[in-house]
Amino acid sequence: MTSISERPVDVAAAGLHDLVKPDEGAVSRTVFVDEAIYRTELDRIFTKTWLFIGHESQLSQPGDYLTNFMGEDPVIATRSADGAIRVMLNSCAHRGMAVCSTDAGSSKFFRCPYHGWTYSSTGDLIGVPRADTVYNGELDKSRLGLKAVPRVEIYKGFIFANWDEDAIPLVDYLGADQLWYLDLAFEAPLGGLEVIGPTMKFRIKANWKLAAENFAGDDYHVLYTHGSAFQIGFLPDYDQLADYIVHFDHGHGMGDVSKPGRAYQNDVGMAQFLGPDAIEYVTAVHERLQARVSPLQAEMHGLGEGNIFPNLSWIKFGAFHIFGLFQWHPKGPGEIEVWQTAFFDSAAPQSVKDFARTQMSQENAAAGIFGQDDGENFEQITESARGVVSQTRDFNYAMGLGHEGEIHEEGYPGHLGPHFSEQNHRNFYRYWLELMTTPGEQK
Amino acid sequence: MTSSLTDLRRDVEDFLYREAKLLDEQRYDEWLGLFTEDVRYWMPITETREVRQHRDHVPGEWALVEDDSRFLAKRMERLAGGLAHSEQPRSRTRRFISNVLVTPEADGDLVAESNFIVFQSRRANCEQFFVGSRRDRLVTFGESWKIAERTVLLDHRVLPRAISIFF
Ligand code: FES
Ligand SMILES: [Fe+2]
Repeated sequence: MTSISERPVDVAAAGLHDLVKPDEGAVSRTVFVDEAIYRTELDRIFTKTWLFIGHESQLSQPGDYLTNFMGEDPVIATRSADGAIRVMLNSCAHRGMAVCSTDAGSSKFFRCPYHGWTYSSTGDLIGVPRADTVYNGELDKSRLGLKAVPRVEIYKGFIFANWDEDAIPLVDYLGADQLWYLDLAFEAPLGGLEVIGPTMKFRIKANWKLAAENFAGDDYHVLYTHGSAFQIGFLPDYDQLADYIVHFDHGHGMGDVSKPGRAYQNDVGMAQFLGPDAIEYVTAVHERLQARVSPLQAEMHGLGEGNIFPNLSWIKFGAFHIFGLFQWHPKGPGEIEVWQTAFFDSAAPQSVKDFARTQMSQENAAAGIFGQDDGENFEQITESARGVVSQTRDFNYAMGLGHEGEIHEEGYPGHLGPHFSEQNHRNFYRYWLELMTTPGEQK
Repeated sequence: MTSSLTDLRRDVEDFLYREAKLLDEQRYDEWLGLFTEDVRYWMPITETREVRQHRDHVPGEWALVEDDSRFLAKRMERLAGGLAHSEQPRSRTRRFISNVLVTPEADGDLVAESNFIVFQSRRANCEQFFVGSRRDRLVTFGESWKIAERTVLLDHRVLPRAISIFF
């Protein structure tokens, strides 16, 4: 009998460099299940990177607020009377009760349900019941506001926050190369992007990285995981849809990138099928892009999907597709709470809005035919990674290893690769490793 | 309550129990046959908001499910095709339908409200309950009805899992 000669990886003994070897296309299963590694991720990744909080349109009036998570830390984002958007910890400075228990709304203040401490929408502590007697008037309220997230920056309406005071600016983190592509999603809408309903939320019993790396450019899985979508004619031949994947600094990756002209041709074909409103719409979108972005970007017209490191994925095919955001909120090493926000062009004709909206629910949402099957994979992968014998076999990310940099498309920025490659996964884990091996200061 | 309304409610209960049985037994073609050609099947997203800032679900916002009969049929075709990994193997389900209330409408159609608990058991130990209510508009079809409109309200803010079953 062959024995398992390699021992299951002892995390304390093995350095992360032994577990995660992007340049060999190998990642230990341990990093998907280990509690200590997970705690380190919360500290060294989720307090060091720019995390999505919400969209400016969700906080249009002073007093508007919404709640979200940064890693496992609950936060509130507010627009206060001075018009500024702030993000703060949703946890009372007294003894930690959540000061806001709703998704979103409007309020001039947040009153803690436990002992009634009251905070303004700027996070200042403005009320303490019986402060004069119970604290003898000695409580220094100025030191007991809600903990503010020190950096909040907005790119084209999208609000991001970062616990790291010394973080590079958001635009530099996202990077000009990645934004060259992403700008298509932001510049194409005739009336701007608007949020088209509540955030959809559901759980997947899986490690958050499995979802993030998948959206970063695992186009290979589409052929089989989503085989049913092709089978029932929901999608055209996949090779007609896209040509490349591409990755960028800071672990970001993108899939289903198409050659110039392809996405526009696909949209024109779709418009014929949808009717006159749609034909007019796609033409107007195309003209708008020609006026606002470079000729090559305009010719590119549509995107695919991607992951903004660490845990913000997005999807946006052509003009008839929702811009969908997926936050893979970690809830322990083995669980994700998915938060999905959907955006669409506020000025699109109603028939186009109706098509895009229903298509998204049917495709990449909690009951969508793509979403269901993806989650099934991530769960069973996580489950299998718990076994001690399983952990002796690294996950294999070797596709395209030794062939990186062989693909070129004139004028396309970033590191382009063929449609089917694991170069973007390797890029994701390279940056993951860089952050995980960089000690941070105590928060 | 008049006895005729009681009888009507019993008949509607019977209809809904039989529907639940079709789903629990995965008789999807027969289940599809219970809907009209122009059915609107809608499952909006539940929110948590302040008491005084409650919002009604607005048509035109994106939803968990917003299907017509064509896409419901596509979902069934997908299940039958063998590549729907989220239901391959099939989940075991058990549906409990209760609190049925019937409101007849002037044109002979009726509105049926009901509550449900659906137990889903997948693979070895992936188990969850989905709880919610439904509001169906039933139109007369021969001796029985067809569902012309279904609104499903799940009580969960965070769904325990992606949805691969029907309500
Ligand atoms: S915990 Fe908030 S007032 Fe005491
Ligand atoms: Fe997928």
